[in-house]
Amino acid sequence: MNSNNTIAPNRETAIQVQGLTKSYGKVRALRGIDLQVQRGEIFGFLGPNGAGKTTTIRCMLDMIRPDGGKALLLGMDPQVEPVAVQARTGYLPGEMQYYDNLTSERQLRFFNDMRGGRAEWDYVRHLADHLVLDLHQPIKNLSKGNKQKVGVIQALMHRPELLLLDEPTSGLDPLMQQEVLELLREANRTGTTIFFSSHIMSEVENLAERVAIIRSGEIVEIMQTSSLTRSSLNRITIRFKNPVDFTELAKLPGVVVLSQVDQTSLTLQVTGDMEMLVQTLGRLPVFDLETERPSLEEVFLTYYKKNNIQQGA
Amino acid sequence: MNRFWTTFRYTFTGLRWQIIGWGLGVAIYGLMIVSMYETLGAQQDRLQQMIASYPPEFLAFFGGDTNSLLTPAGYLGMYAFSMLPIIVGIFAVIAGSGLIVSDEEHGRLDLIIAHPVGRPSFFWGRFMGLLGAALSIMILGWLGFSLLLGRSSLGFSWGEMALPFLSLLVQTLIYATLGLLLSMLLPSRSLAAMVTGVIMVIGYFVSSLSFMDQRLEILARALPYHYYQTVLSFQQLNLTWLFALLGISLVMTALAYMRFFHRDIRLSGEGSWRRG
Repeated sequence: MNSNNTIAPNRETAIQVQGLTKSYGKVRALRGIDLQVQRGEIFGFLGPNGAGKTTTIRCMLDMIRPDGGKALLLGMDPQVEPVAVQARTGYLPGEMQYYDNLTSERQLRFFNDMRGGRAEWDYVRHLADHLVLDLHQPIKNLSKGNKQKVGVIQALMHRPELLLLDEPTSGLDPLMQQEVLELLREANRTGTTIFFSSHIMSEVENLAERVAIIRSGEIVEIMQTSSLTRSSLNRITIRFKNPVDFTELAKLPGVVVLSQVDQTSLTLQVTGDMEMLVQTLGRLPVFDLETERPSLEEVFLTYYKKNNIQQGA
Repeated sequence: MNRFWTTFRYTFTGLRWQIIGWGLGVAIYGLMIVSMYETLGAQQDRLQQMIASYPPEFLAFFGGDTNSLLTPAGYLGMYAFSMLPIIVGIFAVIAGSGLIVSDEEHGRLDLIIAHPVGRPSFFWGRFMGLLGAALSIMILGWLGFSLLLGRSSLGFSWGEMALPFLSLLVQTLIYATLGLLLSMLLPSRSLAAMVTGVIMVIGYFVSSLSFMDQRLEILARALPYHYYQTVLSFQQLNLTWLFALLGISLVMTALAYMRFFHRDIRLSGEGSWRRG
């Protein structure tokens, strides 16, 4: 740990991270992460697998010790006051593992005992009802999604001031994903700061107010989620009832023709706002239209192109 | 402190089936051994002939001779206590090496440590749970060996019967804490358990063989089993040996704690926490 690295605690800030570095042998997992998350904010931490999302979160909770840099959570250094930080924080790991022979309720009571019995059991039942989880089932009989629900409940049940969630909707079906996101919004409305990692763009857009994009252990960009949506790519496949002239579409700003089968079908790549494209399509005999969201890698490529950074394949 | 007791309680209750299994096993064995002494005593002449027919090396392996094996202490030493450190040692190796690392290798430690427990409370709570389990096994075993003493001509009191169990407890702690320390230093629990088990078994054989070959005594002295007191403990417990082993156990525990306190917690499937 680099002792020269100091941060002045800020009451308005829930998370302050400065110059965080961590290496595993020759692998540099974190290369100087700088972050600030305001209290009451929902902050998305977006990056592909292996980018350093989990390592950052685990450094924040003193599960791994950074080689350099510093993190403050709720104004406290987790390496100096880990118990105080953990008492006010809820954590959901990327992969939930339990004592399989216990029921969900016994497992949650174990976690609650580890917190000194702070959770109200009525609230635990409310969360379980919301997520349609039977607390009396042995964990070993639960599906991956239901195990994830137990994890979400343990993170929320003591009403923490700060939630650190590593891919919170992993393993859940789309309906349950929405339920979990709603529970998180509900917690946020009562003042909980939420920091969550994800590799799914739509999830981040759905929940976060701001987002940091991490790649290969470095923060690529921190921005409002709305900016991310505006500058992101969409791939659109359009089929027309009759053959049409695509010249007008190809000339629209931010639109690139990716492929064209004949005069009745083409695939476009659209960067940012789609308003003009939709207006133009309104005048054409559209049969159907399919929009595909870009992968994270494609989003990164957009940023790199924007910043004139050479990017390999 | 509160979380220390919570961790202790969960660890101790988590080991309950091991306590019952190993403790009752030793107790039942004790009941059998003590009650069989009367049967053997009634046939002492035939037994003496049988023992005399054993090769002296065989008797020496168990630390006795024709005369000493017919004494109550020699009988208990040969038929019961000489093997107990190995039998209970299996519990010690499994429980010690898995005390912390088992949860870590299963990916559970990550979340447990994220709770406001603190590494010191967590480690010492778990260690005290293990200590409590080892003590409980000894008490159950001691009760098994003592219950029929009143009807036996062995001539030991319940208090005297407790002395070899004190030595056995210290042996158990040595292997448990060695397993614990190695689990903090080696890449996996299974490797730590294997190394501890090998040291335990080699100690038993080298120490036993050293009665036949004096040259092995130097090696035997370097291994914990050499300081196990069975027959001798009935006469006079060597407190220096007892406290020296206890001290070594505490040092190994302290080293394991320091390692645990300073290192990263692994995630399930990460393999070694050591830097490549």
